[in-house]
Amino acid sequence: MPRYLVNVDGREFDISLEYRADSYEVVLNGRRSDVVSHRLGQTRSLLLIDGRAHEVDVRSDGFDGVRTVFMKGMEIPAEIEDYNLAQLRKTAGISSTPSMEKTLKAPMPGLVLEVKVALGDTVAKNQALLVVEAMKMENVIKAPGAGIIKAVHVSGGTSIEKGDRLLEFE
Amino acid sequence: MNNEIRKILIANRGEIAVRIIRACRDLGITSVAVFSDCDKTAYHVRMADEAYHIGPSPSTESYLVHDKIIGVAGKSGADAIHPGYGFLAENAAFAQRCTDEGITFIGPTAETIALLGDKLQARAAAREAGLPVVPGDTIEGDNLDQALKKARKVGFPVLVKAAAGGGGKGMRVVESPDDFEEGLKRASSEAASAFGDGRVFIERYLKRPRHIEIQILCDRHGNCIQLGERECSIQRRHQKVIEESPSPVVTPELRRRMGEAAVKIAGKTNYVGAGTVEFMVDQDLSFYFLEVNTRLQVEHPVTEMVTGIDLVREQIGVARGERLRYRQEDIALNGHAIECRIYAEDPENGFMPSTGMLKNYRIPAGPGVRVDSGVVIFNEIPIFYDPMIAKLVVWGKDRTEAINRTRRALDEYRVSGPKTTIGFHRAVMDNAKFLAGDLSTSFLTEEYPDNRYTDMTDDLREGAAIAAALDKFTRERKITTGGHDVAHQPISGWLMCYRRDNLRYFGGSR
Repeated sequence: MPRYLVNVDGREFDISLEYRADSYEVVLNGRRSDVVSHRLGQTRSLLLIDGRAHEVDVRSDGFDGVRTVFMKGMEIPAEIEDYNLAQLRKTAGISSTPSMEKTLKAPMPGLVLEVKVALGDTVAKNQALLVVEAMKMENVIKAPGAGIIKAVHVSGGTSIEKGDRLLEFE
Repeated sequence: MNNEIRKILIANRGEIAVRIIRACRDLGITSVAVFSDCDKTAYHVRMADEAYHIGPSPSTESYLVHDKIIGVAGKSGADAIHPGYGFLAENAAFAQRCTDEGITFIGPTAETIALLGDKLQARAAAREAGLPVVPGDTIEGDNLDQALKKARKVGFPVLVKAAAGGGGKGMRVVESPDDFEEGLKRASSEAASAFGDGRVFIERYLKRPRHIEIQILCDRHGNCIQLGERECSIQRRHQKVIEESPSPVVTPELRRRMGEAAVKIAGKTNYVGAGTVEFMVDQDLSFYFLEVNTRLQVEHPVTEMVTGIDLVREQIGVARGERLRYRQEDIALNGHAIECRIYAEDPENGFMPSTGMLKNYRIPAGPGVRVDSGVVIFNEIPIFYDPMIAKLVVWGKDRTEAINRTRRALDEYRVSGPKTTIGFHRAVMDNAKFLAGDLSTSFLTEEYPDNRYTDMTDDLREGAAIAAALDKFTRERKITTGGHDVAHQPISGWLMCYRRDNLRYFGGSR
């Protein structure tokens, strides 16, 4: 019986599935429910979880262990792994989440207008780091947390794509 | 002075281009769309009768180039240009150019646009027309010390605003004298890049004001009416996100006074066409003139829903030289309408623009629901323009019914791909202050200081976890899940034969 460990929004769910003729018997953290799934497309399905309907779109964007679930107007990230592998990993002392995000990546494509910090600066949470022009607006990018600037990858006038590395913290 | 309009070029894109094309079709007028590189297959291009390419994606090389638009008008034989909102809508030079070329510009005259587009001149005109204005001062040509002295006199916090501004661009709230220089610099540089004019002025910053505006409609024969108000207090970055009509606080008496003020400034500036007079309304319900938008507003549909008047149709009528078809006493507000602007933005990340392909896009319908959408499924949301993708406009017999229907409509959306403001709107529809009609332009910062709009529930967490587990399971086992794989089941040839035979037998000519 397949068993997974799923992390959603900081909560862990131990889920086992059993496929029956036309539905799944799902045991979620020890609680049993009946789940019917109808595919609506490549990534979309209609789930009936104990009769309650949820239209979901599950996308994996290349990473096997990460899913993005679009559901009830929300975009919910879910980390998923085989339950037994997860137990092994935990015994070995390997943390599941890649070590705290220390790189500030561009949240959108645009043009860097100004970099307000320099190498070695100590920054506080929510301190303004960069000004980026995107969609004709000047957007101030603030520090996600306190830290020291370890690297600066852009300067005023740099064109950036979404996901480009902007700064690194320590 | 009637001039025939048979073909309209729409110098815009997105939902407003689609909206205008619909009005053209209702009137039997041929519509001409223009498009940039990234809009090749955009919805407005698919909807129009004719469409012409006008250059690269950046608007400065396409939608904003006067010569290109005028060139397409000549080539296609369009006798009028509708500018929509944004882009060339409030560009006096462009309006003048249309007139010079013998093309009808659907909007006020170039003189009126120029006068009202300059906020300093507009304030002066309003004062002359007897409208109350917010205390403020000009700082043109002043050095920092002189400007700061004036700012202190106006009283901190002050608002630094672009003289040529609009849509919240080139506008900064400055809390204290220490931040004045930085605010001035930032507002001026934003104004220079957005409008090519870095002039700014200062105004007293009202605490918790409401933003309420009056829709006006004027013909070329000196008739001008007002179509009631729109409450647009819910804003982010000084841009409206939710609008409604009528306002929860405007009484018939206040509506009449604000409406009369709006008609007065329209008369003073020889206004022609549809326009909006914006006011700031203090907590004690005293109102101050803010500016006149010399164009069709984004939020015009809420007025259409409660008045039953098609504003784009009336704009075209006025442009043809017709007299207004309504007198002031014909205007009555029926029921309540709410508009939610659906943006491709991430509300929980400071409303950052979000781009990418709309991998799923299903819109709501049903009683009282109107969706003015600028996109269809599989469209790419380009980075070059405003990220608004659609407007959800909902009507109800009263505010409560309108809110209930808005909730229902928001829940019907199915969107995957870019982040959107749908969940944000859904949260506001449950907000106690919103429900009580207790609004101000600081509503969002006061109610949602940490930008958290959607609450994760256990139900959602569990549902998402199950969905992820089923996805991994089915992908690994390569099995089709229970029921039918609707989208991918090949249709059997035998089944088709059977169906064809049945058709012949039962439905065909015997």
